Amino acid sequence: MSTVTAAGARRARPRAWTRLSDVASRWAFMGPAAVILGAMLAYPIFYTIEISFSRFDLMTFGAVEWIGFENYAHVLDDYRFWSSMKVTLVYLVFALPLQIVLGFGIAFLINADWRGRGTVRALFIIPMVVAPVVAGGIWRMILDPLWGIMNWVIGLAGFGPLDWFGDPNLAMAAIVIIDTWRWTPFVVLIATAALLSLPRDLFEAAEIDGAGWWSMLWSITLPLLVPIIAATFVVRWLGAVKMFDIALAATYGGPGGATNVINLFIYEEAFRSLRFAESAAMAVIVLVLTMLLTGLFLFGTRKLEQRY
Amino acid sequence: MTAAALHPPLRRRSRFGRKVRIAAGVFACLVFLFPVFWMVLSSFKEQRDIFTVPPTLFFTPTLETYVSYMQRADISRRLINTIIVAVGSGLLSIVAGAMAGYALARIRLRGAGTIGVLILLSRGVPPIALAVPMFLVARSLGVTDMHITLILAYCTFLIPYVMWLMRGFFLALPKELEESAMIDGCSRFGAFFKIIVPISMPGLLSTMIFSMILAWEELLFALVLTNRYASTIPVAIAGIAGDTVNGANWGALTAVGTITVIPVVVFALLVQKWLIQGLADGATKG
Repeated sequence: MSTVTAAGARRARPRAWTRLSDVASRWAFMGPAAVILGAMLAYPIFYTIEISFSRFDLMTFGAVEWIGFENYAHVLDDYRFWSSMKVTLVYLVFALPLQIVLGFGIAFLINADWRGRGTVRALFIIPMVVAPVVAGGIWRMILDPLWGIMNWVIGLAGFGPLDWFGDPNLAMAAIVIIDTWRWTPFVVLIATAALLSLPRDLFEAAEIDGAGWWSMLWSITLPLLVPIIAATFVVRWLGAVKMFDIALAATYGGPGGATNVINLFIYEEAFRSLRFAESAAMAVIVLVLTMLLTGLFLFGTRKLEQRY
Repeated sequence: MTAAALHPPLRRRSRFGRKVRIAAGVFACLVFLFPVFWMVLSSFKEQRDIFTVPPTLFFTPTLETYVSYMQRADISRRLINTIIVAVGSGLLSIVAGAMAGYALARIRLRGAGTIGVLILLSRGVPPIALAVPMFLVARSLGVTDMHITLILAYCTFLIPYVMWLMRGFFLALPKELEESAMIDGCSRFGAFFKIIVPISMPGLLSTMIFSMILAWEELLFALVLTNRYASTIPVAIAGIAGDTVNGANWGALTAVGTITVIPVVVFALLVQKWLIQGLADGATKG
């Protein structure tokens, strides 16, 4: 009796051991990423939340006292917070649709069957890999009111010189132009890949039925592309809500806060004005809003995919 | 033949339309390339050729700006810093991210679905929400202005990116590959490193290069976590672009800008075939 259980235990121990080591080796694949993301992503988020509810002491440089929603109340009272939220909203509303429409439009143009297609597609990568801060810098030079080439070109067409960075509306337009210049190629590349993956026989069938170029575009291509357009929108949205470098290099939020996107504003509040608690509260607000809207867009994308 | 006979006017018009489309596409491409062309061109100009109306297209090129700026110690040191940080975070994120991506794709883990959702969510985290606490923690630990801090900080957006791309890549591989290796006595690790990694090399390389490009051009974390010793090129460019005290320092801007753009363009063109595929997958599956 006792020998049987002993033998059973002896047999069971290695089995439990192998199972344990199997589980360990499974988790070992996840391990490095989990440790780094836990330390560098999850912990800072929780720390941000903690700071946002605390009074921040600049002497000890840490959160000292739990004060509830006081920081949030301050932030929501600050007109500059609202105006930079508005600036961010205006930028998103103009830049995102413009990039999607231009990107898919250009992809459609260069998708014609011809020899140079590959080269053109490859060259479209270039603006995309120019660092955003470099993009902001070059465009600052191109749009310079006195020496910039843009005003010279506009002048040739008979329009007066524009003060791109002095006028609030033009500065906003400049930010949208720069962002669109850098990101449209990204949309072009995705759209090109999407167009290439469309089923050919559908178009051949439509052509035999006598469908014109326009009606094929309108009733076959676009409906087929709807899920990809939606997915591209979500990816671009995720990038655009983080926009910081272009505004910093091109306008530094100016003139008078006209292009002060929320990320730049939070950065300034934290690292120039050293108001860490308020900026943490703002960061949490932005985080929650981004998550909610991203979730909403992802949900919408799924719904669209089911419909088409 | 018959189709042509049936619709001769339509075909002729569509051939003309095709030419117009191609011309418009090429024109769009040229418009998008112009700012980069203008930057590179201006970087070879002398100061007096930069500030002219109308802008000069023909001039005697000079390497003056490059020489004077590369001699400035801070620019060359920042260039080296940027290389260290980009390569370091690229390597770290490809190892950690590819292993985790493999775990998500192939290994049955309790809670893997939740982890997948969390990764997806983490792509929406605005870096500014991380920058504030990272700075405070790094300051209290005394690790600001160090390469390793920046490398680890960049992993917060690179690892999720690599994980997600490589997960899709591994899902597309046939399962029998590592199953047969494991039946032959390979451990899970052995199967991964001896079988999966070698055949995934193109995907791994292009993902790593794109990660390096993202690290190469990152500004916010570099601005917050470094000040002198480990500072990177984007920080220098932001300084030059925003430098209104010395007037517009376009010579420096164009020269340093060109230096940062050239390696990236070369890399991107080398892997463009896989890059497009990866981007398309990332957009449609991510």
